[in-house]
Amino acid sequence: MPKRRDILAIVLIVLPWTLLITVWHQSAIAPFLAIRKACHHLVKEIFIIPERLAVHHHRLSDEGGEGRREAGGQDSKEYCASDKDIVEVVRTEYVYTRPPPWSDVLPTIHIITPTYSRPVQKAELTRIANTFLHVPNLHWILIEDSQRRTPLVTSLLRETGLNYTHLNVETPKNFKVRGDTRDPRIPRGTMQRNLALRWLRETFKNNNSQPGIVYFADDDNSYSLELFEEMRSTRKVSVWPVAFVGGLRYESPKVNAAGKVYGWKTVFDPHRPFAIDMAGFAINLKLILAKPQAYFKLRGVKGGYQESSLLRELVTLNDLEPKAANCTKILVWHTRTEKPVLVNEGKKGFTDPNMEI
Amino acid sequence: MTARMKLKLKTVFVLYFMVSLMGLIYALMQLGQHCDCAEHDLPKDRAISRLQEELYRLQGQIRQLEKAKQPEKKQPPKSSLSTIFVITPTYARLVQKAELTRLSQTFLHVPQLHWILVEDSPRKTPLVSNFLMKCGLTYTHLNVPTAKERKLQEGDPSWLKPRGVEQRNEGLRWLREDRKTEPGDDGQQGVVYFADDDNTYSLQLFEEMRSTQRVSIWPVGLVGGMKFESPVVEGGKVVRFHTGWRPSRPFPMDMAGFAVSLRLVLANPDACFDGEAPMGFLESSLLKGLVTVDELEPKADNCTKVLVWHTRTEKPKMKREEALQVQGLGSDPAVEV
Repeated sequence: MPKRRDILAIVLIVLPWTLLITVWHQSAIAPFLAIRKACHHLVKEIFIIPERLAVHHHRLSDEGGEGRREAGGQDSKEYCASDKDIVEVVRTEYVYTRPPPWSDVLPTIHIITPTYSRPVQKAELTRIANTFLHVPNLHWILIEDSQRRTPLVTSLLRETGLNYTHLNVETPKNFKVRGDTRDPRIPRGTMQRNLALRWLRETFKNNNSQPGIVYFADDDNSYSLELFEEMRSTRKVSVWPVAFVGGLRYESPKVNAAGKVYGWKTVFDPHRPFAIDMAGFAINLKLILAKPQAYFKLRGVKGGYQESSLLRELVTLNDLEPKAANCTKILVWHTRTEKPVLVNEGKKGFTDPNMEI
Repeated sequence: MTARMKLKLKTVFVLYFMVSLMGLIYALMQLGQHCDCAEHDLPKDRAISRLQEELYRLQGQIRQLEKAKQPEKKQPPKSSLSTIFVITPTYARLVQKAELTRLSQTFLHVPQLHWILVEDSPRKTPLVSNFLMKCGLTYTHLNVPTAKERKLQEGDPSWLKPRGVEQRNEGLRWLREDRKTEPGDDGQQGVVYFADDDNTYSLQLFEEMRSTQRVSIWPVGLVGGMKFESPVVEGGKVVRFHTGWRPSRPFPMDMAGFAVSLRLVLANPDACFDGEAPMGFLESSLLKGLVTVDELEPKADNCTKVLVWHTRTEKPKMKREEALQVQGLGSDPAVEV
C-alpha cells in the first residue's frame, strides 16, 4: 500500500513539471518561427533584386510582348558537341531609377567608409558607388584621411547622386607610418571611423526613432547586394562570413544548432573576443546611440583586435545574430587592389598632372 | 513514532505538492508573459503589412513608369539605344566570383547591354552559370579552353603570355554567327567592347561609346606603367599616342581603351586577335585590320578624361589555408567563395 501511494505521489509531482516543460518549449518557439518566415519571405519579394522587377515588367507588358524567356529560364542551342552548349538568356529591359526611391519603411543603412588619396582612389570609389547605387535607403558616410576635403572626392560624390555625408580628419603623420615599431601605430582608418561614429551620435541625438544600421565598408572590398538586405534586420549586432581574410578562403563565426554564435572559425588568434573582420558585422544605430562611449581604440591595439575593441563595449557573444543562412554563404569578399606600378612616370612625372585619375 | 513519521511524511508530501503547484502557477504566469511577446507579434504584423503596402506601391510605380514609357516606344523590346556587346574573358581563381559580382553591379546600371562572358575552361562551371542566372543582366555564356602551351603557369609574370585571346575570339565568332540570324539594319547596330573582369568602369564610359561609328578610343588610367595612357587629339583627330611603353606600336593602347562598332566587326569576318603577336601588340593585331589611326573617333571630351581604370586585384594570401589543407582541416569546400 505505501508503495502505491509513493508511486502516486511521485507521479503527481513529476507530471505537472513535464507538462510545463513541453508546453513551454512549444509555445515559446513556434510563433516566432512563423513570423520570421513571413517577414523573410516578404523581404525577399520586395528587395532582392532588380531581377524581380524585370520579371514584373515582363508580366505587366504582356499584351503585345514577344515570347521572351522569364528570369531563370534557359535557352540552349545545341551545336556539335554537348560541351559546346551555348546558353543565352535575354531579359526584357527594366525601368530603373538610380538610386532607388527612398522608402519610409526600410531602416537606413549608414555605410562608413574611410578613404585616402592614392592612384586607385577614384577607381575604387567609382566602382563601390556603382554597387551602392543599387541599395535602397542607403546613406554613405565617406571620411577622407586628409587635412581638407579634396575636390576629387567632392565632385565624385556629387555626380553619383547618392545620399552622402562627406567628412575628413587627418591621421597624424607619425601614426600613419607602419613598420616603425618605436612609434605607437594607429591602425589605418581608425580615426576616420571614430569621427563617423561621433557624427552619427551628434546628428541622431534627438531623432531617436529613426531605425538605422551602421556598417563599416572599406573602399576596396567587394559586396553582393544580398548582403545589405541581410543586415537590414539587425537588432543589435549581426555577423556573417568574410572571404579572403586571415589567410583563409573565408573566416566565419561558429553557429550552434540554436542559432547562437559560440566561437570563431579562424586560424589567426581565434581566441580574440571578436575574431571577425571589419566587413563581417553590422550594428544597429540604436545600440551606437545607447552606448556613447564606445569607439575604436586608437593606440595599443594588437593586430586583429581592432574590431574587438569596439564590439566588446557594445555586445556580448550571446547577443550576436548570425546572418547569411546561419553563416554558410559568402556575401562579402575582402579583395585588395594591387598597387599600380608607375615606373614609366619617372622622377618628373610623364603624364599631365592636371588630368584627374 | 510511526504515526508521527507518517504524519511528517504526509506534511512533507503536501508541502512538496503545494510548492510544485505554486511553481506551476508561477511558470504559467511566465507563459502568460508570453502575451507580451504577443504584443511583439503585433508590431511584427504591422511591419509585414507595411512592407506589403510598400511592395504594392512600388509595383504601382513600375506600372506607372511603364505606362509613361509606352507612347515613346513602339514595342517594349526594341529601344532607340544601340546595344553594347561587352565581351569578357574570365577564368577560375579565388577572386573570380567577387570580380564578376562587382562588375555585374556596374553593368546593371547600363541600359541595352549584352554581356558575353567567355570562360577559359573546357566546360561551363556551375559557379559562373549560377551567378549569371541570378545577376539580372542579358547575357550569353560561352566557354573555350586555352591551349596548354599558351597558358600562364603558376609563378609566371602576368605579361609573359597574352591572356584571353581564344576567349575574345570566341566571343567575336558567336556574335558574328548570332547576327546572321537577325536580318535587317537594326540587327547590325551596336558596339563591341572588350572588358576584363578586374578593371573599373565608370557609367559615363558606356554612354560615350554608344555613338561609335567605326572605332572610338579614350584614355585608360593606371596602365602602361603610368597614371594613364591616352591618345593625343588635335582638331578632333588622333595625331599620336601618349604612352611610356613602346609608342611605336601601330595602336599603342590597352584593351579597355577602344570600342568597335558592330557593323565593322561584321563587315570584316576574319578580323580577330592574334595570339602569336608580340607582347603589347594584341590590340593592334585586331585593329590594324579594321581601321587606320586617322579614322579613330576620340571620346571622353577629346580624350581629356579618364573613364576607365586598369585596376588589378591582389591574389589573396592562402598560406594558412594551404597549411590547414595539408592537415585535412581546410575550410569547407562546399561553401562557394
